[in-house]
Amino acid sequence: MARLMAGPFIDPIGFGIELAYTFIVVVLCFLVYYKTREIYDLTGYKGIKYFRRAFLFFGLAYAFRLFLHTLLISKIAFDFILPMRMLFPLCTLIVAYLSTMALLYLAYSTIWKRINFEHFLHISNIIALIVAWLAFVSRSPALVSMIQFLMLLFIIILIITKKHKKGKKRLPMRAVYFLISLFWLINLFVLGPGRVIPFELELSLQIISVIVFFIIYYKVAKWVK
Amino acid sequence: MTRKRDRLGVIYDILRIVRANYNSIRPTPLLRYSNLSSQSFSEYYQELLDKGFIKEVIDKKGKKYITLTDKGFKYLEKYKLIIGFVDEFEL
Repeated sequence: MARLMAGPFIDPIGFGIELAYTFIVVVLCFLVYYKTREIYDLTGYKGIKYFRRAFLFFGLAYAFRLFLHTLLISKIAFDFILPMRMLFPLCTLIVAYLSTMALLYLAYSTIWKRINFEHFLHISNIIALIVAWLAFVSRSPALVSMIQFLMLLFIIILIITKKHKKGKKRLPMRAVYFLISLFWLINLFVLGPGRVIPFELELSLQIISVIVFFIIYYKVAKWVK
Repeated sequence: MTRKRDRLGVIYDILRIVRANYNSIRPTPLLRYSNLSSQSFSEYYQELLDKGFIKEVIDKKGKKYITLTDKGFKYLEKYKLIIGFVDEFEL
């Protein structure tokens, strides 16, 4: 409860790390989105469309998550915009919607050929809106991360059963997608009351998370020169 | 066993045929070389025109020829990278 009891005082080191982490991830996500624009415009390929949108949503979700995090640790700082009791659920709703869309788009980008879902956009929006509404009502980012974890389990089952090309020695991207989804869930879960995981562990996870996003960006930059 | 060509591959093949014919080919030989059914060819042909990969040129005798646009050349140039990207990210 130490974090909640701290009231309006912000731990400068913790917040600085959070700010730097979010900034790097958001920039990398938007760079992936921007760098893939040309090949998408050229091909109109659906897989690239879903992949790009996943990173756009991830970037936005991380940006709003930082705002949510700031709201949680500073109860008075944003009262000049909207009262906390309105701003917090609203922000939780936005984070829940954006992140659910990101997870669904990322998963669908790898399975769309097998499960050609005509109404994917509508269905994914409905799911994201339901999750967002639950987040708004419950005002709990941790609940959102638990719902998304169940979604992720379902997606993993779908992806695991996908036929994998033999003879590939390189890192399977599905593992990387799983990692970035998992890091997101952990990042959302730790916004719950009190420090759920130790600071050192949280920091280590953030470093690994940044490395994973860098790997994705590096691979994208390698192909789309 | 020949692998079934996907959409990106078919577009690449059509554009490659145009380029291989000094960037000027009549629709009928293009259909023949592309190894597609008439209906599929018509769909792809229209798509390539709509997206600005190819354009139709009428010569002095009123004959229609197909040529690549800059976008068509760019697609050919980037094709291997696009396929590599799609393969790498399992899209």
